[in-house]
Amino acid sequence: MGKWPSTPAVSRPRWRCLILVISLAVASPLLVSCGTENAGVVINIFNGPEENFSSIVDRCNSLAHGNYRIKLNQLPRDAEGQREQLVRRLAARDSGLDLMDMDITWVAELAEAGWIKEWTGEDKKSVERGTLEKPLKTARWNNKLYAAPYNTNVQLLWYRSDLVPTPPATWDELITAAEKLADQGKPHYVEVTGAQYEGLVVWFNALVTSAGSSILSADGKRVVLDSKARKALEVMKKFATSRAADPSLSNTHEQEANLAFQAGKAPFQVIWPFVYAATRDSNPELLKKLRWAPYPGIDGPGSSPLGGAVFAVGKYSKHPHEAFAAATCLRDPESQKIAAVKDGLPPTIRSVYDDREFIAKYPMRDAILQALETAGERPSTPFYQNISTIVSTVLSPPQAIAPQATLSRLRAEIADALQSKGVLP
Amino acid sequence: MTTGQAVTGSKIRWSAINLIVVFFAITPVLWIVSLSLKQPSTFTDGSFIPRKITFDNYLGIFRTGGFARPLLNSIGIGLISTAIAIVLGVFAAYAIARLNFPGRRVMLGASLLIAMFPQVSLVTPLFQIERSLHLFNTWPGLILPYVTFTLPLTIYTLSAFFREIPWELEKAAKMDGATPFQAFRHVIVPLAVPGVVTATILAFIQCWNDFLFAIALTSSDSARTAPAAISFFTGASQFEDPTGSIAAAAVVITIPIVIFVLVFQSRIVSGLTSGAVKG
Amino acid sequence: MSRHVREEPTTDGMRAEHRLGLLLCAPAAAVMLVVAGWPIIYSFLLSFQRYDLRFPQARGWIGLDNYATVLTNHYWWVAFGVTVLIMVVSVAIELVLGMALAVVMHRTLVARGLLRTAVLIPYGIVSVVAAYGWKYAWTPGTGWLAGFLPENSAPLTQQIPALGIIVLAEVWKTTPFMALLLLAGLALIPDELHRAAEMDGASRWQRFIHITLPLMKPAILVALLFRALDAFRIYDNIYVLTNGAQSTASVSITTYHNLIGGLNLGIGSTLAVLIFLTVALIAFIFIKVFGASSPGTAPGADPKERR
Repeated sequence: MGKWPSTPAVSRPRWRCLILVISLAVASPLLVSCGTENAGVVINIFNGPEENFSSIVDRCNSLAHGNYRIKLNQLPRDAEGQREQLVRRLAARDSGLDLMDMDITWVAELAEAGWIKEWTGEDKKSVERGTLEKPLKTARWNNKLYAAPYNTNVQLLWYRSDLVPTPPATWDELITAAEKLADQGKPHYVEVTGAQYEGLVVWFNALVTSAGSSILSADGKRVVLDSKARKALEVMKKFATSRAADPSLSNTHEQEANLAFQAGKAPFQVIWPFVYAATRDSNPELLKKLRWAPYPGIDGPGSSPLGGAVFAVGKYSKHPHEAFAAATCLRDPESQKIAAVKDGLPPTIRSVYDDREFIAKYPMRDAILQALETAGERPSTPFYQNISTIVSTVLSPPQAIAPQATLSRLRAEIADALQSKGVLP
Repeated sequence: MTTGQAVTGSKIRWSAINLIVVFFAITPVLWIVSLSLKQPSTFTDGSFIPRKITFDNYLGIFRTGGFARPLLNSIGIGLISTAIAIVLGVFAAYAIARLNFPGRRVMLGASLLIAMFPQVSLVTPLFQIERSLHLFNTWPGLILPYVTFTLPLTIYTLSAFFREIPWELEKAAKMDGATPFQAFRHVIVPLAVPGVVTATILAFIQCWNDFLFAIALTSSDSARTAPAAISFFTGASQFEDPTGSIAAAAVVITIPIVIFVLVFQSRIVSGLTSGAVKG
Repeated sequence: MSRHVREEPTTDGMRAEHRLGLLLCAPAAAVMLVVAGWPIIYSFLLSFQRYDLRFPQARGWIGLDNYATVLTNHYWWVAFGVTVLIMVVSVAIELVLGMALAVVMHRTLVARGLLRTAVLIPYGIVSVVAAYGWKYAWTPGTGWLAGFLPENSAPLTQQIPALGIIVLAEVWKTTPFMALLLLAGLALIPDELHRAAEMDGASRWQRFIHITLPLMKPAILVALLFRALDAFRIYDNIYVLTNGAQSTASVSITTYHNLIGGLNLGIGSTLAVLIFLTVALIAFIFIKVFGASSPGTAPGADPKERR
């Protein structure tokens, strides 16, 4: 008993420190960092892991001449995890959330909830100047600009020239080509993001738009998913149950897809251009054989999924003025070039595509610009998150898709979600 | 001699059985330790024992600053919640074990109800209430539910212990002119210390373990506790997996538990069983 | 020993005792009432509203609509089924293993302290930590257990294997707790009974069935009740292992997703209320049908009844 003289044996200075911390925590519940050393305005940006983003931040900090200092706060890797953290802070009116690097699909939701600030005046003009129309459209909601496009993204069909002489143009051809390689006992998997997450939604939406349908009507009020969409589901089912599919398809995210490709297990992958930068850094031998082709279609040419990220200013930010300025710098042509060249994120400003340094690092430049012309957006609606959750749940695992039944289920559940009525799985 | 052999035989048999039990109990823990000592390049070798030992994962979690603050939150919130729960619990348990008053059974019933209550049912209303009271993402915002959910355990454990105390001493003190409160303060409290220690450990373990409140009622490092922070670890880049950091942080927050268990094994056992079975 | 309480001569003394008792309980009762009582009521209120944080202007009273939505929803019933399945399977396994473990701890001749220390580690370890341990153990390429599986299998991405791993993680973590509760019951059985039965020629198994089990019934029921309610609210393990993918969500996971992911306070509260009612029902069944004595009403709990 004597070992334990009284309840928690905490020495006095420790207590004082604790009390200090408690009062701090109470006094400023939304305290984000203890960075008290800087006198100027701190702009907290929340960003998913992006290897060279800190060099972009450093550049803008030096350009700010002490007007503000951007502080980088890291979000989880997966989009759902990022959104969850941002949304929770916004719901709690977190004034420490100045700037967000967000997925283009969240703009409608956060704008509708009034959680991000509209871009107006000079800030708005500078964003619209020279920015590609497709990405700019994803930054708008109800004809107002709520975000500044940072990068855009399209998927291409990447293949190995030593195994594939001519790239297939449709999913049917792709499956046939892979099965022919399988017959020859060669590596034959086609890597697609088929795990139960946003990547599966991206795949489904791309096939639906390629088939000439869409998930929602243009105004976002009603479910479309007509018989053409069933064709998309048939293709997914056919692919998933063919020998072209990696057996771990239902567990494949971007990372696994690229790893299988790098490991030589797959001669094909359908994915974003970051693989080019990644292959260049990690596998120079493979880079020599790496080729690309447009996104495969259903009957004719395909429509690539449209990805990308935007910067938005949080509603409760105490320094919106500086936040807009910081965002403008973080997405200026020079910043976008760094992101494009080092991290493989395609720019949203047209002029960057003509930059000599950019062209040298982006042999697939034309393919990207071309794909951007026809790329299919995911539905623009405040309910996007619910729809995404439903789609990825209903379609997982892709082998189990039963086209007609799956389609009816999607239609019914998405219609419920549009009324705030559904239960999320 | 035959009985001696039989004893040796059964000793061997028991040793074997015990070995199996110990193996099942600690292998998963050793696996996390092993993972935390592996170099990033050897994560994917699938080997149970690290080929080459490195402490980089431990240095990493403290150097990048993503873990020190949540660890402080965990310790601070855990200690404060435990302290409050113990103080309130001691009062209530003394009354329940010792005094006859209306509402005794109600109190026990209410504690039992809360002990068995699904925490998730509280998360939704608390999320909303704390948002409007500006308690969301603060220490008090977590301390309140922690106190509430450790109180039943504390009350049960303590009242079970208090019943074992020789109360004649208190009677004697009263006869000497002490008020009921003085008798409580000077006679009973010192005798109750072992029970209080046990309840303290159990309550702290419970606070330390919580995950659901920690992720639902915090949004940043100002109040997020270590278990929640671990689940939000990210790799340094898009291609780096946080496996090593998660394993290292997991080991760090397991150490206090292992120490408690090693030092207070018999107390924890008696606390758990007396609180739950004897009531 | 507490007899003198009732024999207190003056009513003044009794009144003082009443007052002190209430006074001492008041702070704890107040905290529980404010932090648990009020939110429960608030939860009921929210469950009758349409309240999606993203559409604050659409907030309004909608009666029982949320209940109709949830109770006719496929995902709710899948989650409910999964939760009940996990609860039944893991508690059943824990009962058998826990009983075996309790007997081992009770009877072992060697290293009793070491054994108890070892089994306390799973009990004490942070469940998120344990869950990560299991997750990495079964991750293809990383895990030492995944190595025993056929190539290309990713057990955590298929419903049945994933549920198996969730149950395994749950069983590993909580069997020691079950065993300790049973051990306490075991320790109350007088040795003479066993010795007498042994003399009558009863085998070990017969003695277990006819002496140990019947005498331990109260302890077993309490342990089952505790664990069943605890297993019904399973959250941490699933969050880490699958986060509910491939139809492995428990009701707690589903509630969390609707609240934090969907920001739907109306539906989230409805789920919370339904979980609460289910837990109450399970407790009621145990106490009324099986006659489990809740710890508060166990013999000896009341100072007046004691000894």
